[in-house]
Amino acid sequence: MEAKTRILARVRRALKDRPKALLPEHPHATFPEDPLDLFLKRLGENGAEGHRVDRAEALALLKELLPGFPGAAFGKGVPPELRPPLPELPPEEAPLGISWALFAVAETGTVALSAEDGRRTQLLPPAHLVLVEAERVYPTLLMALSHLGPLPSALGLHSGPSKSADIGQVMVKGVHGPGRLMVVVLI
Amino acid sequence: MAQMRVALFITCLADQFYAEAGVAAVRLLRALGVEVDFPQGQTCCGQPAFNAGHWREARPLALRNLEIFGEAEYVVLPSGSCASMVRHHYLELLPGNQEALALSEKTYELSEFLVRVLGVERLGEGLKGVKVAYHHGCHALRELGVKEEPLLLLQNAGAELLPWEAAEECCGFGGLFSVKLPEVSLAMADRKLTTLPEAQVLTSTDAGCLLHLSGRLAQKGLNLRVAPLATLLWEAYAGQG
Amino acid sequence: MQAKAKRYPEEAARLLKEKPQVRTAVTGATLHFERNRLKAYGEIDAEAWRERAKAVKNHLLTHLDHYLELAEKRLRENGVQVHWAETPEDAHRVLREVVARHGVRRAVKAKSMLTEELGVNPLLESLGVEVYETDLGEYLIQLLGEPPSHIVGPAIHLPLEEIQRLFHQRFGTPLEASPEELAQVARRVLREAFLTAELGISGANFLVAETGTLALMENEGNIRLSTSLPRVHVAFVGLEKLLPRFQDLGLFLPLTARAATGQRLSTFVSLLQGPARPGEEGPEEVHVVLVDHGRTALLHDPEAWEVLRCVRCGACLNACPVYRQTGGHPYGYVYSGPIGAVLDPGLLGLEEAHPLPFASTLCGACQEACPVKIPIPKLLLTWRHRAAEEGLSPAWEKAAMGAFLKVMASPTLYRLFSRALRGLPLPQDLLPLLRAWTQGRGPLKPSPKPFHELWQTLKEAKEEGDGG
Repeated sequence: MEAKTRILARVRRALKDRPKALLPEHPHATFPEDPLDLFLKRLGENGAEGHRVDRAEALALLKELLPGFPGAAFGKGVPPELRPPLPELPPEEAPLGISWALFAVAETGTVALSAEDGRRTQLLPPAHLVLVEAERVYPTLLMALSHLGPLPSALGLHSGPSKSADIGQVMVKGVHGPGRLMVVVLI
Repeated sequence: MAQMRVALFITCLADQFYAEAGVAAVRLLRALGVEVDFPQGQTCCGQPAFNAGHWREARPLALRNLEIFGEAEYVVLPSGSCASMVRHHYLELLPGNQEALALSEKTYELSEFLVRVLGVERLGEGLKGVKVAYHHGCHALRELGVKEEPLLLLQNAGAELLPWEAAEECCGFGGLFSVKLPEVSLAMADRKLTTLPEAQVLTSTDAGCLLHLSGRLAQKGLNLRVAPLATLLWEAYAGQG
Repeated sequence: MQAKAKRYPEEAARLLKEKPQVRTAVTGATLHFERNRLKAYGEIDAEAWRERAKAVKNHLLTHLDHYLELAEKRLRENGVQVHWAETPEDAHRVLREVVARHGVRRAVKAKSMLTEELGVNPLLESLGVEVYETDLGEYLIQLLGEPPSHIVGPAIHLPLEEIQRLFHQRFGTPLEASPEELAQVARRVLREAFLTAELGISGANFLVAETGTLALMENEGNIRLSTSLPRVHVAFVGLEKLLPRFQDLGLFLPLTARAATGQRLSTFVSLLQGPARPGEEGPEEVHVVLVDHGRTALLHDPEAWEVLRCVRCGACLNACPVYRQTGGHPYGYVYSGPIGAVLDPGLLGLEEAHPLPFASTLCGACQEACPVKIPIPKLLLTWRHRAAEEGLSPAWEKAAMGAFLKVMASPTLYRLFSRALRGLPLPQDLLPLLRAWTQGRGPLKPSPKPFHELWQTLKEAKEEGDGG
């Protein structure tokens, strides 16, 4: 407790004669573009693959997207009817993780993943497929954050494949997290 | 209308190393119908001391200049860096000083004065076809916001302004920096010079930058004309030579 | 970390001479970052974003006591254990306790400049803990035993060949292995570490007071892994890293990404609320250490307090033509480049860091890049002024300044100086200056006559009515 008391006392002393600054509001930007179009465009620019599909045809699309994957790890939130018929593997071994997103952001090409869905599935497999409902796609990050309900223990915002240019300034994908990100928007 | 009168503040580096730029500035201003004074007793704006933290040494020089240029209608400097010293940093050096404020408001870099005050954008065609590399002195560019003025005047005189990826990067002069950290300063000059396009003349508003770059050019055995902006602007008006 | 900032001039010169490849690597990388930043700022109303970010941080800092207490309260409600650290020793105590209680043998670390300040790695190693830096660049320099040379790209000074050699010696990869192959080797080694470490250590980009949310930005996924897999997560947070409201993240996350790398958002952002809830994967225990280590002293400083707005994006480093020649090592402390030059004297004391504010030409490029509009050139001048007032300038400089003032304050002496420049031996005081100038630029070549002498002719020409 002592360190805290001393630190706060020093802070108060430092601020004694300093004029207080006001806290500005954040204006909500207006986006003329259709957020879904923008979202898919941004995903592409970020090096991710974006698709949109009618919910009824989603399973067919997934089968098409996922040839050659011998199995997958599944997030808890992925509805059973949308699970492609792949053997379930633990995230440590699975070549693919399939997650259910809490929301998405168009302007940044981002999917938001809750700890509730399963963190290992989001991070350990080298490829990651994320399902998100169209009505959960917000135009801006600010809007998405303003509409968020109770916060999960961890929220991961993923905006593309894991990457690094730390080795000789050459961009390399899949350094630690998934090197491939596929996003399917359900309409 | 009464004739416009400006006081020329040549500043120490141009006085000593680019005297011809001062002559050019006087001729050009006169040709444009401006009366030019050269207040006696002027030396240095104080920037070398100020930038190195020696405000005690810089302050008396600032005060001298308030006196020397106090009466002037406009003060024109053929140097962006010194103009910024007078316009911006005298106010920090002499907080609350009304004369410093008055001087600040009437002080201009030469090309800035021509375009913004005189409204002159065309001087002549004396630079027709001349390939020019323009170095943006940092204080002209970022403190005075003088960016388009020199380019406009050069271009309108027929000069061909060559694209230069490092045109807006610092050359590494930096006053005392050039001698306190000479290795870094020279590495910066080399970055400017290795990217320099095939120009016939290298120019800038600032004598310090040009002194540094021309010294480095000569040291590397490169032969390129280096001329202060004022000199080129006079050539733009009067034709070359 | 032991500070060697006083040796900046010697170290910068030595590096340029002995390791010219560093200049090439750093110039290339920073110009690339800088171009990306310019493009990313060009897409938005950067002026308005930066102005707003500055205002939010100024509000935070001028109400810091309130927000610190609020953050602590929220963190505790979220099940996070909160510690306050004035010194590295305070921070070490937290780690010692965690290591002992959980029998920690292995720790994975997400890149954090603050943990460099606090000497976290040497401490853990002294406790017998195996520490893995997991950011790829940070891992490279850990293998080499070097400190980071850039806030965002700790290994930007390393050319590919050096990394190929390192991996060849260390892991037996071929000397010509591609960056792709090298990264896969690092991925394998570090994946094993992630899966077996008991402790994950991170810094934080932001800590939201309103919700107790830790926000961390990255591109590799190593931060998400470091804060998700081990049983315990310890986050070190500088006092200035707070944000008032959760919605402030809507500005600060994208703005920082744009400034740092030119991205619209970092590839991964972790927004952490505390330990895993029942049935969830994630750490059982989360600790937040609120670190002062010189920050309250800086807050007290009537001018330099503004550097506490810094979000550690590295944009000023990328924009700085001085930094570009050497990278961060010669600066001799955790924070290098323009922000280091104004932050380090505040954190270390001017006496320990006085050459750093002089590691700049005052070109102003840093200020245009800064996402929170820290007036870096103005603060460089402030520190320089204080250094001169405190007598920290070298003796030759003091002598030269005295001579300079004498000459410039007297038109008579100035004329004498003029003549001396054109032939007479120059004043002794100025000689070291002259030598330093002429070594790389050749002899000074004054105009045949100074302008003030030519003026006489110009004046007469005018009086004779010859304007041209």
